Amino acid sequence: MMAWIESTGLATWVRESPSLWAYPTILTLHTVGLGIVVGASAVVDFRLLGFARRVKPIDLSPLFGLMVWAFLLNATTGVLLFIADATTKSRQPVFYVKLSLIFVALWCTFATRRIIREETPDASPASASSPNGARLAVVSLLLWAGAITAGRLMAYM
Amino acid sequence: MDAFIAWLQATRLSQAIVYYTWIWPACETLHFIGLALVIGIVGFFDLRLIGFFRRVSVSAARELMPFAIGGFALNLSSGLVFLIGHPEQYAHNIAWWYKVGSLALAGLNAAIFETWVDAKTIHLGPGDETPASAKAIGIVSILAWFSVLVWGRMLPFVGNAF
Repeated sequence: MMAWIESTGLATWVRESPSLWAYPTILTLHTVGLGIVVGASAVVDFRLLGFARRVKPIDLSPLFGLMVWAFLLNATTGVLLFIADATTKSRQPVFYVKLSLIFVALWCTFATRRIIREETPDASPASASSPNGARLAVVSLLLWAGAITAGRLMAYM
Repeated sequence: MDAFIAWLQATRLSQAIVYYTWIWPACETLHFIGLALVIGIVGFFDLRLIGFFRRVSVSAARELMPFAIGGFALNLSSGLVFLIGHPEQYAHNIAWWYKVGSLALAGLNAAIFETWVDAKTIHLGPGDETPASAKAIGIVSILAWFSVLVWGRMLPFVGNAF
């Protein structure tokens, strides 16, 4: 199965094309998406931890839209990077660690969005946030840092 | 240049970075975490300068900047580890020079903001439109930082240094 995926025309192009537009650009877009998803998430998380209190959490809502687009970019580029090297990557435990961390981090992001919408729409700018929001923020920051670590280690393990 | 590279490679620090194989992936991981902090926090402030997130006052949008500076410090340190460990990979690679040029542009742009644009922009409250100068600063900043990221990631694929 993995060998077949790897042998498809698309996978072969990603892996073997000498063009900078193949593997290098896909990998670069994956890093662009990482920066936007994790960076935007960090902005929300730091706010929920009580920094930048003059920012109303609800006013950060557009960041979630940005995260969705960047995440779709990374899901797409991630699939392309995976199929190019499917047999190796599918055997790497650290790959499944990375996927799991991302899924839980995404769940945290949706939970954070719900908390911001439901609990703080009228909160004065100076208020901190709910304890639940702060706990989620810590978990989210740790999960994304973990996902980055696992992703980076895929090149070494 | 080549003499300097050879001297750097002969230092004990450079040799230690290459010898302990865990140092490189550890620094890469920190480099990616720092990258996300810089892109996210600087990018958010830039978007406010450009005119998005208008319900946030400009000064409030800047309050997270210490975390971006922390992220940058992380990347400057880990980047120096790469440079000291394998100077030949970078000094002869055009992508690295584009990256350094983009960094210089981002720094110059920030300095222009702090020196001339900041005074009329930082006091803008919720709902206020930013002046054209601030919008230009925001656009240049976002482009420069993504350029830093793109040339950094493209490093191993451009030129023959790796």
